[in-house]
Amino acid sequence: MMRRSFLFVLLLLLTVAVPALVAQNLSVPVQNGSVKFAVIGDTGTGDKHQLSVAKQLAATRAKFPFEFVVMVGDNIYGGNSANDYEKKFAIPYKPLLDDGVKFYAALGNHDDPSERFYKPFNMNGERYYSFKPANGVRFFAMDSTYIDDKQLKWVDEQLGSSGSDWKICFFHHPPYSSGETHGSDETLRTQLEPIFVKHGVNVVLTGHEHFYERIKPQKGIAYFITGSSAKLREGNIAQTQLTAQGFDSGYTFMIVEIVGDDMYYQTITDAGKTVDSGMVHRVGKVEPTPNRTAQPVVASGRSNQKAPSKPVKR
Amino acid sequence: MNVIRMFVVAGIACALSAVPAAAQTATPKPPAPKISTATKEKAAEKNTNPDALVLVDFQKRIDSYMALHKEAAKDAPALKQTNNPAEIKTAQDALGARIRAARATAKAGDIMTPEIQNKFRRLMYPVVTAPAPRGTAGRAVKADVKEELKENSEERKEEGGKPVPLKVNATYPNDTPLPTTPPQVLMNLPKLPEQLEYRIVGKNLIIRDVEANIIVDFVPNVIQ
Repeated sequence: MMRRSFLFVLLLLLTVAVPALVAQNLSVPVQNGSVKFAVIGDTGTGDKHQLSVAKQLAATRAKFPFEFVVMVGDNIYGGNSANDYEKKFAIPYKPLLDDGVKFYAALGNHDDPSERFYKPFNMNGERYYSFKPANGVRFFAMDSTYIDDKQLKWVDEQLGSSGSDWKICFFHHPPYSSGETHGSDETLRTQLEPIFVKHGVNVVLTGHEHFYERIKPQKGIAYFITGSSAKLREGNIAQTQLTAQGFDSGYTFMIVEIVGDDMYYQTITDAGKTVDSGMVHRVGKVEPTPNRTAQPVVASGRSNQKAPSKPVKR
Repeated sequence: MNVIRMFVVAGIACALSAVPAAAQTATPKPPAPKISTATKEKAAEKNTNPDALVLVDFQKRIDSYMALHKEAAKDAPALKQTNNPAEIKTAQDALGARIRAARATAKAGDIMTPEIQNKFRRLMYPVVTAPAPRGTAGRAVKADVKEELKENSEERKEEGGKPVPLKVNATYPNDTPLPTTPPQVLMNLPKLPEQLEYRIVGKNLIIRDVEANIIVDFVPNVIQ
């Protein structure tokens, strides 16, 4: 009798828990030889929400074998003792770290800049850095809390010398945002946007706002906010003209795949539900042009939600 | 009838006098410049702006601190890439101890002198008291800072962290969240070398040595 009850409970758990972890249908192509990565932001709480997103992220990797994860800042909230690094990073992402998945971090406003010496963040001791995971794609991590002339010069030079690569910048504060708490960081936008446009940046990944938002392309650049991988501000997306798609009622992460001139993205909740997906298409090589006002990049959303001009609120 | 009229007039008078008072509490007055006689005389002699001399003085004091920092760092274990975050803390503590010993007599105001503090308050005032930007979502900087401080305070209580001691040479507690300093505020302040950073702690602005995790100096009550 006891054995039968145990089997029943086990069966029940399997029917409920397993599909929840792997139920999401992938809308990214999952092609051989493509560049596959995930994006998480505002993660370092060590609480159950970080753990549930981390769990779903690991489950997704079974179907979508991403090689690295981009962290858009606030990697360690609260205290930053050695135990905090364990609790808020090493333990939640252990399955991925054990599988050799690399994490590339940017610093957020709650991070201690000394995090750049923590090897698993792959920052090489630098507040800002770039890396090239594959031919034709280059990432630029920036410290948006302390933008100084030195960093601006660095990003200008680095973007200028990156040729025809996909240029993907990631940092913490969003230059465009519909968040009621923070909103667009216009100071940062004034500093960075002319450089991004001049050098043909394709995509900008940020966090800081504790929700997910895909911004309508601005001057041809696709902007994403993924700041709800552990923290959430429910109902915080205001009605603005900026939102292409938003989700502020659950914890999320993104998976991204670059195939040639197309970048596919899918945003998934910790419950395995897809809340946005689509593709950013870039139109070939872009030479640096000082007077350029927009890039020939087309972002096409393919959201699973209705009314793409409005944020999703439940 | 006359009594009622008197009450109405008195009520209106009270209401009108209360409006400016309420407005004053909502937006504090901008801090008046406080520049020492010595700086004023020097500025007159050099035919320059006294505020510029205050900022030059700040830079000199920071340069002097950095010279001491670099000297102390020569003998300290270097901060290097590591898989073990405890090693980062060990390196910070070792450098912190050396710097503390090298400036054992340092006291509040050695770097942030009264006229530098006043200059910082004046630099921060327009940003901190500015209304929320028009045409976009988002709140004013002050509301943003308050929200972040509330969040930090909750995190600190949850994790049992210690309050930040507002004391020169004190170690910033490892178990206490690092509060945010909005980029708009930082834009208005003099740039620091990358070994140092500004952080808003409560109503105060501290300069923290990132590599040594110590409080270098501070400006009290910078946010009204």
